[in-house]
Amino acid sequence: MAKTKQKKFMETTKIFFRYVLLLIAIFIWVIPVIWVVVTSLKTRADIFTIPPTIVFKPTLENYKTALSFLGILSSIKNSLIIAIVTTFLTLLLAVPAGYAYSRLQFRFKKTLSFYTLFTQMAPQIGLLIPFFIILTKLRLFDTYFSLIVIHLTITVPVSVWLMITYFQDLPREIEEAALVDGASRFTTFFRIMLPQVYGGMAVVGILSFIESWNEFLFASILTGRTVRTVPVALFSFLTTEESLWGPFAATGVMITAPVIIVAFLAQKQIIRGLTFGAIK
Amino acid sequence: MLDKLKSVGERLPLPDTKKFEGIRTKEERFAFLMILPSILFLLFIFTFPLLYLISLSTYRIEMSRPWVNAWVGLQNYVYMFGDARFWNSIKITFIYTTSTVILQVSIGLLLALVLSGKLAGKIRDYLRMGILLPIILAPVVIGLAFRTLLLTPKYGLIDYLVTLLGFGSQSWLGNPTLALISVIVIHTWQWTPFAFLVFLAALAALPIEVYEAALIDRATAWQQFRYITLPLIRPSIVIVVILRIMVSIRAFAAIFSATGGGPGTTTEILNLFAYRTSFTSLSLGYGAALATTLLLITSFISFLLFRIRNTS
Repeated sequence: MAKTKQKKFMETTKIFFRYVLLLIAIFIWVIPVIWVVVTSLKTRADIFTIPPTIVFKPTLENYKTALSFLGILSSIKNSLIIAIVTTFLTLLLAVPAGYAYSRLQFRFKKTLSFYTLFTQMAPQIGLLIPFFIILTKLRLFDTYFSLIVIHLTITVPVSVWLMITYFQDLPREIEEAALVDGASRFTTFFRIMLPQVYGGMAVVGILSFIESWNEFLFASILTGRTVRTVPVALFSFLTTEESLWGPFAATGVMITAPVIIVAFLAQKQIIRGLTFGAIK
Repeated sequence: MLDKLKSVGERLPLPDTKKFEGIRTKEERFAFLMILPSILFLLFIFTFPLLYLISLSTYRIEMSRPWVNAWVGLQNYVYMFGDARFWNSIKITFIYTTSTVILQVSIGLLLALVLSGKLAGKIRDYLRMGILLPIILAPVVIGLAFRTLLLTPKYGLIDYLVTLLGFGSQSWLGNPTLALISVIVIHTWQWTPFAFLVFLAALAALPIEVYEAALIDRATAWQQFRYITLPLIRPSIVIVVILRIMVSIRAFAAIFSATGGGPGTTTEILNLFAYRTSFTSLSLGYGAALATTLLLITSFISFLLFRIRNTS
């Protein structure tokens, strides 16, 4: 009797510690994000109070300031154009390649797929320096074209690998049946296989969009006044003499909100995409 | 290109009937058509620029003084090996990479072990949602948020909390040691969720029968972990370590926006040193030599890690 009681007590303590750890984890990972949101709703006076206030009168003033700030709106437009075109082209290049590597037999398959994987390992600074010189020579500096092309270097290799795993998960029967029935290889791919990986394509698309939308290293050098993206524009709030924390936080919230909304809608699929391969 | 590949294929002796040969060639032609765009693109946009980078590293290119530009052979590399700032950046890269990877993997694994499968479904969904946040945030937003809202002495939230705990207000990004610790913590904060999610998925995929057998054999929790869980999820750990090393060694945006490599060069990893040399000091030739060195290091490490992965 006493033993069961003791066991029960142990169980309860265990559960208690589990939830304490859970709370600590949430506190560590969520509070900083919430703090950015909170700051974006504070007046300048509220931001610089000690101790930091939790109860305050929320205001949208920072959002107004941020949007009226020179070039933020056009930066958002630039980022959108670049990220959308990058996403589209990534899918166009990666989906057929993923299908071929996962389902078709051909020579050099191993070499070529390894090459695709290896390109992912190259440090981006190693691409930035030659690109900077080439683009300057070609007078393509500060254009959508150049930034989209270079963003594709980040998104294409990993997307090919993701698409391979999605195609590998499909059953072979339908594909073989279609081929036996006389459908061409392209028809089989386009009409039979593609519709089955729409979910995977959505994940690849979302991840590519996020990569391009968040990208800073290339954008910091290869964009000037014309196609400046939001991550680069963000710096302008904090380089001035008086740091504009409020407008910075507001912009941070604005450029993160769309990503967060999309990510939460497809949360499970995205987590699967992010952690792909690692558990196979 | 395609015709050439095809003719090579036709010259190769194939074991099967003529009909089969035809199908195989067709499949192959289709396969090459499917991968050709991506391969051409990668050749054009990776291989060519990287070769160009290596050639650039043999030049002196000073954008602020173009009249000194010249081909200098291996002089950039000779200079590099004598450059204390280079060796400092190697040291910082090493510290940064090993500590962030170890922290991410151990904290991620610990959290996953404690929280896996034992929480109510709703709570787990919220947890995953919340913990996904840092991964999808722009590293620039994170770096800048830490630099301003969180770590600024007196006004930053973290500084305030630390003061409450009695450690006093610190100059987090101004003190050399604290700055390095801060950028390591920022990277760990952003990417531990990734390790956590991978381990959570790996733990969920483990066969439950083994644990039942262990319970019957009265294995202790530690024995279960040491002899069942750990060996079973070792492949996931190896992959997470590989992926995180590659990301960590090439980290940029968060460090750049939090400290810019400073104070001085105390948080300047090799990646950042190459960037500053190329685009702040405008010495592109030397920058190219540094970037080539980083390329060699990452290639070597990824080669090594893939060997380890394939043998384990």
